[in-house]
Amino acid sequence: MDLLREFIQWLGLTRLELGFWSFPILLGLIFLRAPIGLAMFLMGLLGWIFAMNGNPTPILAKLKSETYTTFSNYSLTIIPMFLLMGQFATLSGMSSALFKAAEGFLGHRRGGVAMASVGACAGFGAICGSSLATAATMGRTALPELRRYGYSGGFSTATLAAGGTLGILIPPSVILVIYAIITEQNIAKLFLAAFIPGILAAIGYVITISIYVRLYPDAAGTRPAVPWPERWRALAETWPVLAIFALVVGGIYAGWFTPTEGAAIGAAGTGLVALVGGNLTWRVLLEALIGTAKTTAMIFFIVLGASLYNNFLALSGAPQWLADYVLGQGFAPLLVLSVILVFYLIFGCVMDSLSMILLTVPIFFPVISGLEFGLTPEQVAIWFGILVLIVVEVGLITPPVGMNLFIINAMDRETPMTETYKAVLFFVGSDIVRVILLVAFPAITLFLLPV
Amino acid sequence: MLHSLVKWLARASAVIGGLVLLILIVLTTLSIIGREMSKAGHAMEGWLGQMILSLGVDEIRGTYELTEAGVAFAIFAFFPVCQFYGQHATVDVFTGGLRPRALAWLRAFWEVVLTLVIVFIALRLYEGMQRYLGNGETTLFLQFPVWWAYAVSVGAACVASLTAIYCAYARVAEAVTGRMILPEV
Repeated sequence: MDLLREFIQWLGLTRLELGFWSFPILLGLIFLRAPIGLAMFLMGLLGWIFAMNGNPTPILAKLKSETYTTFSNYSLTIIPMFLLMGQFATLSGMSSALFKAAEGFLGHRRGGVAMASVGACAGFGAICGSSLATAATMGRTALPELRRYGYSGGFSTATLAAGGTLGILIPPSVILVIYAIITEQNIAKLFLAAFIPGILAAIGYVITISIYVRLYPDAAGTRPAVPWPERWRALAETWPVLAIFALVVGGIYAGWFTPTEGAAIGAAGTGLVALVGGNLTWRVLLEALIGTAKTTAMIFFIVLGASLYNNFLALSGAPQWLADYVLGQGFAPLLVLSVILVFYLIFGCVMDSLSMILLTVPIFFPVISGLEFGLTPEQVAIWFGILVLIVVEVGLITPPVGMNLFIINAMDRETPMTETYKAVLFFVGSDIVRVILLVAFPAITLFLLPV
Repeated sequence: MLHSLVKWLARASAVIGGLVLLILIVLTTLSIIGREMSKAGHAMEGWLGQMILSLGVDEIRGTYELTEAGVAFAIFAFFPVCQFYGQHATVDVFTGGLRPRALAWLRAFWEVVLTLVIVFIALRLYEGMQRYLGNGETTLFLQFPVWWAYAVSVGAACVASLTAIYCAYARVAEAVTGRMILPEV
């Protein structure tokens, strides 16, 4: 301990300098394959000890209650509930009902089965708050159909990987919950604001598909049209999705219940659908619980590490200093915003979205909220949240580590990864166009919100 | 033998945490149905409103604090399975070029550090519980002692620590022997 104290004195860093040094070191650890939550936890711990001149007592005292209060935080309890809801959604049989309905209306068009996959993903996203689960579930349902109707391998896998991101763009969304908690915003308003950009994402993907099949006519086969009565019947089959979505998102927004209560109702409702459909046997339930457990623990370990690290950062004063510095330079607000969004796009190629948000939003958010966009502070916070949500999700479908690409590609052994990469770039392009639109016109995101 | 024991322990722990989560979900849902029915009963005039009220349905008091304590327990109980199946988020691109053996040692190193941190967290949590032992502090509605909530979490954190120690051992063994022991996915 004495040695440590001497070392710290020899370094002679101020708290602010400690804060700034901690970030590159943290990144170094993460790039050396340290589990992200662990790296943040360690840097938070060391940061506190260094900032206290080698005295570990304050942080040791803090850690007596820190884990329990983080894990028992009522706002955060929404996360395991939404994750379990996603597991139930996978088992509910709704993915095939949605696909059948979307295929009925779109399937006979050029590239129609791919469009239907996107439509079904959007519907599934309304009851599932996770992109990976959406990609995996819709992939199992739609990939065999796409291949059956002669869609090329890379085009099929890219469509489903991109469609999977709708899982998180369309509310409910686990990432938005985290963002809401970090920035102390209203979850219901964020969900509402995400709705139009989510629909725009689906429309953008459909347009992308129709461009793609015109450029590469061989990439898609055709299928006969489905008679109208059958289309309506297939659509009617999807009513539980609409009912659950309306109840959960509407109920939270109308103030009937808290977001956590809404998540509980959503999980119960989706579980019920799975149970009635006969898909929820005891064995399957156990697997669903274990699946929920893996993801929940992964997320909460990062949340814990991030909370400790951000605590140290706040103590160092680095985020505030950075915000003051950027504001003092008088940069154009849109320039700063664009730089941040590009940063997320690049970083998203190597890091998962949740870690990125927990790591960087506490640093960037003070900067953004200090800038003048001609909007109220709440509007800026919500707008920025939706933009960040979209750019970090692009990371799921960009090489080299787009998780959605891996999940879908693993289902189709005949298609080499490079084929998927080539086709997915069209969808990435569509994402970027959408981000530019939303940056240029904040009203698209904000107009559903009451003034 | 030890491997299947730890695997069973981790999975059982996840299932118990998951069942607690499931019970909380059902409890919350029933509580909201009760609350809304009671509200509707109060709002309605005449016999229908009277009938609803006479059923005595209302929200289940204390759902909030049970959710907090239960979810904290569940999350601690979820840790073993996450670690056993190597599910903690990492950035793999920059170490992708390493030779398999070097990568195995790197993984083993972080697994050991992770284990130390998990045991440390469990010990801190235990210290945290000590504060509430015998100080008589209880929750608001249900009036159960706060240390109970801590105690169940400590229990789950112990299982997490045991699993973590085994995982650290297994990763080091993987690095030494070059054979995979822990499952991926």
